[in-house]
Amino acid sequence: MKLHTAAQDLLGHLQSLSRIASGRLANPTLSGVQIAATGDGIELRATDLQVGLRIKLEGDVERPGTVVLPARLLLDITRQAPGPRVTLELRTEEQDVEVTAGSAVFHLRTLRGEDFPPLPEPSGAAGVDVSAAAFVATTAKVVRSAAKDDTRPLLACVLVRAEGEVLTMVATDSYRLSEKKTTLESPLEGSFEANVPARVMQELERLVPASGAESLTVARGENQVLFTVGEHVLSSRLVDGTFPQYRSLIPETFDHELRVSTSELREVVSRVSLLAQKAAALSLAFSEGELVVSAQTQDVGEAREALPVPFHGEAFAIGFNPEYLRDGLDTIDGDEVLLRLTSPIRPGLLQTTDDQGFLYLIMPIRLNS
Amino acid sequence: MSGVRLIVARCEVRYSGRLDALLPEALRLLMIKSDGSVMVHADTGGFKPQNWMTPPTVIELERGGVPVPDEVASGYPDLGGVRTVTDARAAAAAVGLAPEEPTPAERAAADQAAAAAAAVVDEPLSKIVVRKRAGSTEDRLDIVISEVVSDVFHDMGEAAALEKSGVERELQELLADAPHHCGEGFRLVRREWPTDIGPVDLMCRDEDDGWVAVEIKRVGTIDAVEQLSRYLERMKDDPGMADIKGVLAAQSVKPQARVLAESRGLGWVEVDLDVLRGDREPALKLFDL
Repeated sequence: MKLHTAAQDLLGHLQSLSRIASGRLANPTLSGVQIAATGDGIELRATDLQVGLRIKLEGDVERPGTVVLPARLLLDITRQAPGPRVTLELRTEEQDVEVTAGSAVFHLRTLRGEDFPPLPEPSGAAGVDVSAAAFVATTAKVVRSAAKDDTRPLLACVLVRAEGEVLTMVATDSYRLSEKKTTLESPLEGSFEANVPARVMQELERLVPASGAESLTVARGENQVLFTVGEHVLSSRLVDGTFPQYRSLIPETFDHELRVSTSELREVVSRVSLLAQKAAALSLAFSEGELVVSAQTQDVGEAREALPVPFHGEAFAIGFNPEYLRDGLDTIDGDEVLLRLTSPIRPGLLQTTDDQGFLYLIMPIRLNS
Repeated sequence: MSGVRLIVARCEVRYSGRLDALLPEALRLLMIKSDGSVMVHADTGGFKPQNWMTPPTVIELERGGVPVPDEVASGYPDLGGVRTVTDARAAAAAVGLAPEEPTPAERAAADQAAAAAAAVVDEPLSKIVVRKRAGSTEDRLDIVISEVVSDVFHDMGEAAALEKSGVERELQELLADAPHHCGEGFRLVRREWPTDIGPVDLMCRDEDDGWVAVEIKRVGTIDAVEQLSRYLERMKDDPGMADIKGVLAAQSVKPQARVLAESRGLGWVEVDLDVLRGDREPALKLFDL
């Protein structure tokens, strides 16, 4: 195998691939990126057995062949490549690949190619075309609410449902829940529903702008889903199980509803959160016409800031995880946020004041009296 | 009283069991802990021993080529109550094998061995054999010593062990009072349920009245899963407990331990000490999954 390519192109692709390749698995080949040079062009592949990524690479194939090289190391070499072009050549006898960039020459031992599993082909399942921009914008609204760890795999997923003109995504870690419904410009030809790991959705958020694709194709197989974005194919195993029946969690009525300046509340919450450390709660104390946001961390200090709000009724205070509240406010588009609350132990809802199809449900934290 | 024995010796170490391995003769540090752990360290290779054996083990010593069954392998030799397994019969009992009464011939042989041991007490250590039952087979370390450079006991005291287990002890007490934190509907039957390889932290009944052994750790690791598996294996020998389940309860459970536990059909649960103490209310959730 021998190929020539632009260092910047290779670098950009390796950054995506190295997030997929895993050095923590028993099979060391999975820490590598597979480079397949054929008469049709060059394809780079990486997988951790759960997620797979195939990316087309622009370049010239002088001699076809396939090798697997350590992903992180090749990324670091490419990042520091002194010239604009990189040449990779397999030296069969030495069982290594010569990487040449400008006057720099590297010899990288290859990983066992036969241990690299085949990745699913995009042609295997019928797909649904969705606007890439709408898909990514919808993802960005909900993905932060997915659980960060894999303790409960379903909660580390985004429920993706597309039918007719509506693309719906939902994520929850059981402490907060985001739902975004996006109305598409044209109805979909087909439908799908899948629990997609949040990290796959985050990878799509990066791939779409990098590829410049206007649409992406989602194809759901029996136990996996394939996203085709331009020349890139991202595949993922689906997570078994039924996503929580979340609609029943959203109260139909609230005792208090008030509109607050989104930017003002976001800034106050951000400032006061500096003193909500070590899992301390952020307190929102509502009284006639005023909201006082405060935080206290033992042995560190306290902070409080007041802002006028159109609150009427019996005063009460409610506590929130500061990070979760900030996440919610950050995902609100619009000058005003609609705060809907009932009591210090009932969930609160953040919504846009116009109908953007977005809601953010957040469970309070009990405040120490 | 807990104690550790440190031997710096020129020795050859041969392991036999699931595979055979040989460490050729070299100067090594042998560490024998009072819980029966044996580790063979070199001056290189990081923190990990070159070879090791986890408890329960049987440790047999020889001086000048003669067995010295009365010599304690670890612990503090002048103090009573040290858990040291140097007698094969006692060890067999410790791992659940039925002890047998010695025959007159065996008694005579034992007396003869004891007399020989008394005669060689000034001889240097020449061999250490560490044995451990592994299912139907036996793992074995044969340490042949050609020169002893240093051989010392250290009394580790009780404080260190207590400090280490302080959180675990508190967790055990708190979870004994509120076993439902280990699983829905759990009821405590007994703390420190005895087995022949050590006590199970909590023995509970679940909602269906089934037995559940709960192992409590500050941090749930693969070792904790192994320990719980060993307890369950022993207890399942009792027909009344053939269907016993196991749960690992810890403040945090390592991802690898979660995977191993689930692959063995064991449950695991993370518990919050502050919540158990009543210092903090449990976090409010939208739902439980």
